[in-house]
Order: sequence, then C-alpha cells, then structure tokens
Amino acid sequence: MTDSSSFPGLQQALTACKNLFAHVIRVSDCVPQHVAFIMDGNRRWAKKEHVEVKEGHNAGFHSMSRVLELCYESGVSTATVFAFSIENFKRSPIEVDSLMNLARNGIRQVVQNGEMAEKHGIKINVIGDRSLLPDDVIKEIEAAESITRNNKRAVLNICFPYTGRDELVHAIHQVVQEVKNGDYKSTEVNETIIDDNLYTGHLPPVDLLVRTSGVTRLSDFLIWQVSRKGVNIEFLDCLWPDFGTIKMAWILLKFAFKGTFLSVDPDLEDSERGEEAYLKKSK
Amino acid sequence: MDKIQERVLEATIADTDVGQGKQEHIPPPTNSKNNPAKPSLYNMTATAEIAMLKPSGNDAVEAKMKTSSSTWAKSSNKLEYLFYKTLLTILYMIYACVRYAKYQYNRTKIQILNLAYSPSNTPQLIRQDVLKFQKLPKRLATILEFKSEGDVGGGLGGLINDGSELVTWSISAGIKHLTLYDYDGHLKKNVDEFRKGIHHKLSKYYGPSNVPKFAIRIPQWNKVYFNLPGTAPSDPDSKKVALEVSLLSNRDGRETIVDLTKTMADLCVNNEMKLSDITMKLVDSELTQLVGPEPDLLLYFGPSLDLQGFPPWHIRLTEFYWEEDNDQVTYSVFIRGLKSYSTCKINVGK
Repeated sequence: MTDSSSFPGLQQALTACKNLFAHVIRVSDCVPQHVAFIMDGNRRWAKKEHVEVKEGHNAGFHSMSRVLELCYESGVSTATVFAFSIENFKRSPIEVDSLMNLARNGIRQVVQNGEMAEKHGIKINVIGDRSLLPDDVIKEIEAAESITRNNKRAVLNICFPYTGRDELVHAIHQVVQEVKNGDYKSTEVNETIIDDNLYTGHLPPVDLLVRTSGVTRLSDFLIWQVSRKGVNIEFLDCLWPDFGTIKMAWILLKFAFKGTFLSVDPDLEDSERGEEAYLKKSK
Repeated sequence: MDKIQERVLEATIADTDVGQGKQEHIPPPTNSKNNPAKPSLYNMTATAEIAMLKPSGNDAVEAKMKTSSSTWAKSSNKLEYLFYKTLLTILYMIYACVRYAKYQYNRTKIQILNLAYSPSNTPQLIRQDVLKFQKLPKRLATILEFKSEGDVGGGLGGLINDGSELVTWSISAGIKHLTLYDYDGHLKKNVDEFRKGIHHKLSKYYGPSNVPKFAIRIPQWNKVYFNLPGTAPSDPDSKKVALEVSLLSNRDGRETIVDLTKTMADLCVNNEMKLSDITMKLVDSELTQLVGPEPDLLLYFGPSLDLQGFPPWHIRLTEFYWEEDNDQVTYSVFIRGLKSYSTCKINVGK
C-alpha cells in the first residue's frame, strides 16, 4: 500500500474505498465487538525481505495501525493486540531492546501525532505484568494512558508483557483478596467475577481472534476468553506485515455474513424445506 | 497442598449428584447445523431479504436517524442508509458465491482424502502411516460433538462410535494418552456403554482374543475404569494399559478454575494459606492434578474452529488442527492432524 502513493490519486481512492466498506459493514449490524490479534511473522518477513529484524517490527507496526483503523471505522469497539509475551524476554537482549524502543516510540507516536487515537476516540490500556518493564517505558505508558483516559468510543488493549496464564493467576489472586476483604463470600465466586477481574474485565467479550503466519496455536494469549464457545478463531497463512486492510475486510465480511445468518437460524433451520416453501410461494 | 485438591474434588463430585436436573441446560454450540455459508437459491434470496429488511440495531445509525429533524435530512439519511444496505447485499452475494465455490472445493478434497486414507480395520496400516512422521504427540485431545438423533452418525450411538474409533486409531498409532472432550459430558455419563463400544471396536481391529487394554479416567469424579465393565480389577495385568483415555466436559473447564478459586479463598480466609502462596506453579500443579496435563495436539472435527469451552488452562501451547467444512470424525483428518503436528515447530517466546 505504501508503494501506491507513487500513483497520483490512488491513495485517496483507496482511502475512500476503505471508508465506504467500513460504512457498509457497519450497516450489517454484525460487527465483532472485541477483536484480538496475534501479530506473528514480523521476523520471518524481515528475513524474507532481507532487511533487519527491526525493520520487520516497524513494518508490523504500520500494518497494525492500518488494520486497527479499518476495525474502528467499521464499528469494532475494542481491540486487543499481543505485542510482547513474558516469554519474549528470552530473546536476545539486543532484540528485546529494540522491541522496547519500538514500543516506546510506537506509543508516543499513537498519542502525539496519531490522528487515529483522536479521530476514533481511542482509550489506550496497556495490560500485563508491568513490573517486568524498564522504568522509562512504564513512564511512557502511563503518559499515554492518562492522555487518552477520557476517550470513550473505543479501546485499544496492548498486551505488554503478557501471558494468558499469568493473567488468570492475577485474577485468582484478586478474587481471593476480595473474598478476604469481605467484599463477597467465597460461595458467591463465579465465572463472571473471574471475568471481571481479568485485565479485559468490563470490556465486551472477545468474539474474534486473528493470528497470522500459519501457526495454529494460541501461545498463551487470552486463553480464558477465547476458549469460550462461539468465539471465531481465524488462523491465516500470511506474515503479519503482509496482512493488510483487504484481508481484514474479508474477515469482517465473513463474520457479518455468518452473524446475519445465524441470528435468523430458526427460519433457515431446514434449508431444504425452506427452499421448497420458497419455490411454492414464487409459483 | 492435597487439601486443596480434596476440597475441589468434593465440589466437582457433589455437583454431579445433584447437578444434572437442577442445572440449567445450555445447548452446545450449533456448529454442526447446516453450514450457514453454504448457499442455495433460497439462501441467496433470503440473504437479500434479510440484509435489506432487517432493522438496524446499530446505535450510531439509529441515533443519527432520530436526531435529524427536518424531513429533507431524514429522507436523505434514509436514502444513504438504503444505499449502504444495497451495497452490503451485493457484498454478501459476492461472498456467498466465493464461499460456495470454496465449500464445494473443500468437500471434494475431503472426500478424495477419505478415499485415499482408509484404515480398513487394520492396525498395521495405521502403524505404517504413522512411522513416516518424525514426532508424535504424547497427549492427543479431541473435541467431539453430540449430533442430533436424526442425523447419520448422530445421537449417543454416533458419539460412542466416534469416540471408540479415535481410541482404536490412537492405540494403533502408539499414542499413550487421549483426551475426549464433549461439551455436555455425554461420554462420561454413559461410560459403561462407551467401554463396551471401545471393546467392540478394538476386537474388530485386533481380533477378539487380542484386545489391547485401556483405562478410562474421569477427572471430574476422580474415577478410573479398566477395560470392559465386569472384568476383575484385581487382576494385576489389567492395569498395564496401552492407552489412557480422559473424558472431559465443559464442567472441567472454567468451572473447575472457579472451584479452585473458591477453595483457595476459603483457605486464605481461615489463614491456612497465604495470599503469596498462590503462584502460577501451584495453580498449574493443582489443575494438572484435577483435570490432567496439557495436550500437545487438539483435533477438532467441525467445519470451523470453535473451542467450545475446552479447559482454558490446558490450551496454552496446544497445536490445533481441523479441516474447513469437514463435519465428520474420519481417519483422514486424524492422520493429517498427526502429520501437521509432526512438522510444527514450537518455540516458546523465541
């Protein structure tokens, strides 16, 4: 998409197309409320394109903003991205450093001159075990959160550094603490209470997960939320920097199509019979 | 920390004694229904009707329509709305066509594969297929679906048949642990029939005199069964099994984690445990004891992946395999799942 800017007017045309599509999808009334992304394949992409790993992560960041923009335009209210796993600290110190830099700059960019946060009214949440992060990154995160605190229309959760099991243990910890404080009795503990104590508590439930690069695992991402029945899981066979607006649009269309049909399922229960009835009627 | 387990087990076992009638029945996911993506003439026109006529529940649109006061603005808004609806319908039509082509392609592919891979009741053939693979999952899990009685392979009989086939294939492939998950727990409620079903299937493959031994574990009730009902458990040989089968249901997922939380909260309130004792390691070991270890590969036999409430703690690094638009438990999906696992590379974090 970046190359297309050489062609005058094309960029504008593409943006117009994207906006039109977003409007159309909005009308379907079957837009996922909470989309989660595992942005996998930045490093493989860098290898394929013969550029530095850092460049791969940069390309991934741009891909993310494009995809998120389409999502928010289409009416998705919450997005959660897996930026950095607690396990990622095992990578080489140089790479961890460059990822931290990217995160710092990325967050700064989104807040300062990113029209995205302003335009869509995005509130940024950084979720995960922050105690593992360097101080300057924490500062940047806190700044970003406080600036966007009053934005109400949409939420962007950045999982940094995060694992699903860690989140679950954290939630259990909090529930036990609340029981100990006497907020409620232990017999009253239920799934909803645990749900509310997760980092994603009080947000709409995840209804779509997208993972790129052909890996069919969750890799410890949102395990509690995604194992719920009825969550759509999409594993795509392309690297994250190659995952663009068009592929996301197709996924949104698929979701809307499925939703539109399932919501009227009783009528279509027996499509054979329905067909007969329809043919009779048309005669 | 045996105390924790004991208490949680008490809760899970008690749950079933009263459970079934009292608990509200939540219908399992309807993935096995008619494939909504499979269009037909009727569906196409229905798409158009639905897309055009269904009122919008979108707050933004509603609000916009309401706030515009002048009639001119109202009608132009309506016009705009109609325009988008029309475009949506066209998009749906395009999607339906593409989807239809893909559906036909997938179904044909599955049918050809089913012909190509057939175990024809001989364990040697399965053995041969498996020998080509570099690695095998130590623990295999599958999600099975209870299909409605009227369908081919539906009802309890169909479920037991699917389950016992998976058991037989796993034994033939040399897998030691198999987890069978079905949302409502039909298999564990009918464990005796299931044991008979497995025995029957195994004797078909191995001959009646040479049936491999198996154990069935039901973690929810903390019970283990060996071989056929009625065989003497005192026989020391009967405990050397070729395969251990775990039967799980929705109850073993989140609800068990909730039970664990309750128990730990009780212990903390009574000062029998400190808050700082609750660590990832403790939770992991408790849940491994209560439900079982994490599977390496999860096979799903439905058209599009839906985890249906599979125990969340246990799918951290599990590899998933399913085939698009497939809706049957077949050997070709089983063996292709094992094949895809043999080539996958797991690198935690790196």
